[in-house]
Amino acid sequence: MNIVLVGISHKTAPLEMRERLAFSELCLRDALGKLVDQDALEEALIVSTCNRVELLASAPGGADRGLDRLMEFLCGFHGLEPGTLNGHLYRHSDSDAIKHVFRVASSLDSMVVGESQILGQVKEAYQAAVEAGTVGRVLSQLMNRALYVAKRIRTETGVAQNPVSVSSVAVELAQKIFSDLSDKTVLLVGAGETGELAARCLIEAGTSKLLVTNRTAERAGEIANKFGGAAVSFEAFYDVLSLSDIVLCSTGAADYVISPAETRRALKSRKRGPLLFIDISVPRNIDPSIADIENTFLFDIDDLQSIVQSNLSERVREANAAEAIVEAEVHQFVKQLRSLDIGPAIAEVKELLSQMAASEFKRNRKRLGGLTAEQETAIRDVLIPALVNKLSHPVILHLRNAAREREPSELIDELRKMLRID
Amino acid sequence: MEILWIIILAGYAICVAQSVFALTTKRPVMQRASLIALGAALGAHTVWLVIKGIRANRCPLVGTEEMSAFLSWSLVVFYLVASRWYRAAALKAFVFPIVLALATIAAISPGSQGTPPLANQPLQGALLPIHVGLILLAYASFFITFGAGLMYIIQERELKHKRFSTIFYRLPSLDTCDEIGSRSMAVGFVLLTVGILAGLLFTHTRYGVYWQGGPLEIFSVATWVVYLLLIQTRMSARWGGRAGALASIVSFLIVVCSLVGVRYLGHA
Repeated sequence: MNIVLVGISHKTAPLEMRERLAFSELCLRDALGKLVDQDALEEALIVSTCNRVELLASAPGGADRGLDRLMEFLCGFHGLEPGTLNGHLYRHSDSDAIKHVFRVASSLDSMVVGESQILGQVKEAYQAAVEAGTVGRVLSQLMNRALYVAKRIRTETGVAQNPVSVSSVAVELAQKIFSDLSDKTVLLVGAGETGELAARCLIEAGTSKLLVTNRTAERAGEIANKFGGAAVSFEAFYDVLSLSDIVLCSTGAADYVISPAETRRALKSRKRGPLLFIDISVPRNIDPSIADIENTFLFDIDDLQSIVQSNLSERVREANAAEAIVEAEVHQFVKQLRSLDIGPAIAEVKELLSQMAASEFKRNRKRLGGLTAEQETAIRDVLIPALVNKLSHPVILHLRNAAREREPSELIDELRKMLRID
Repeated sequence: MEILWIIILAGYAICVAQSVFALTTKRPVMQRASLIALGAALGAHTVWLVIKGIRANRCPLVGTEEMSAFLSWSLVVFYLVASRWYRAAALKAFVFPIVLALATIAAISPGSQGTPPLANQPLQGALLPIHVGLILLAYASFFITFGAGLMYIIQERELKHKRFSTIFYRLPSLDTCDEIGSRSMAVGFVLLTVGILAGLLFTHTRYGVYWQGGPLEIFSVATWVVYLLLIQTRMSARWGGRAGALASIVSFLIVVCSLVGVRYLGHA
């Protein structure tokens, strides 16, 4: 087995160091090639993102040697003194390495637990290594398993479920009020960055119409053009209130821009449907008493932040369930790897027995007397393979079962001695 | 037949337990078991209705036992139709307790001997079960409206209070709750109208008059008027979604109470 991993992440090293150690796409192939050229390493994979740099390899020559090689390579490739990484670098081997890979792919090691980017980044790293030809049996199984575990955690726990940014919370609220966003109109009042971001998220979620209004007409026009919407003059925006379904307010005004009276008027002339107000400005621009109006929903920045907070703590709670899944999967994967190691040995056993049987048959051919061609074929192609299977079956079974518990290499050595394979 | 009831009740009970529990948790739980239970229960339920009909040589729509059984069966069917059209798994938790209650009533009610088949007048023979069947189907639809109304009220309250519990994430959007409610109300109203017409026709062919003034007749027409008013106000958009949902719930409760009252007062 002997899987080894070294790396740094946002948890162990500052940004400058991570930048120093990063592998760009161009030099990735080259780095992977150089890694497998090292005598202690057979397969290799590099994950390099803005939050972590990790080298993963299989080390048939032993875990310690593999780890040392990885460390040397990392320092050497980037021209760093070997001692500079102490305290920042983490080293894992075998089941710890497997656990780390599973955790990273499932976003449990990310800055925001449950984020979705890391999975794509891991997939890309795997793809690059496959193309560079540095992925063999061990790493391909490990990576495929990691992707499966990540998917399991996404579907079985709530780790990635609830939105943890103000804009995505706004989108979720809109989706909980309106079943179909595609025919809804968003009115963006003001030109603040957060408001723009929220508008962008809503558009990406499917809303089709955007109206933008601002005290400066050019700024409104700018934003409208950016998102394919229409600009409305600030004086006239009360009129379009009745046409809007979602109102995002993010001006720098010091007092209320939207009052209950205008809202009631707008509701009257609207066809039936609720109004969603999202007030991202500080101080608030939307009169809070609007929330008491029938069929109207108002969320200010504090409300959104507290939803984000509670979602974050929810993610942390779900992360515990996810860790349990990872533990179980690691355990199972280790068992699977162990049982797989005996594949070549089993093939050898069968081969040896077949050869023995064939040579004995040849030696004793005369004693069998006259045999028709049919009978000869029957003995060679039916009887002998059947015998070999039957004889080797208990041995194989024993090897498989025993390999789950301990390293099969000693078993295989014993087997070789027993069958006199030198 | 007893075995059938055991399967039916056990299956629906599992559905109730699973769907209510699913409202409180974020992870999918026991979905396949619930689906199997639902399939088994619905299958047994259908078999029961068919056997009852064959044995009595008529549609199984007479007496509390059969009417409750048919009503709960229709409710399950309507729920399945609604769940195909709308992504609202939470509706199950609001509908199946009613299904279970009705099925229990049917299970513990004594069977009725039923009216003799009206073999000589085939039109009469067909009109009565059509009349009763349509009205029961209408009620099943109104049950869905009731469930959707409840969901709306709960979801709206969550949004107004801005502190979201797990149920907020489990319930569908306000719009969807509203749509399910108004669609099912429209369907129920149409069924109720045709059912009442069939009843009027039946009374005429049997007794020569269209209207006899019995408690059941009065009550059906009263229900019809209530829902007509409800539909009017929803369409005129004078009420917001919450008022509409509340009205659906209240009117339905009134209707159910009246039904129970009529059943025990003017036993037809």
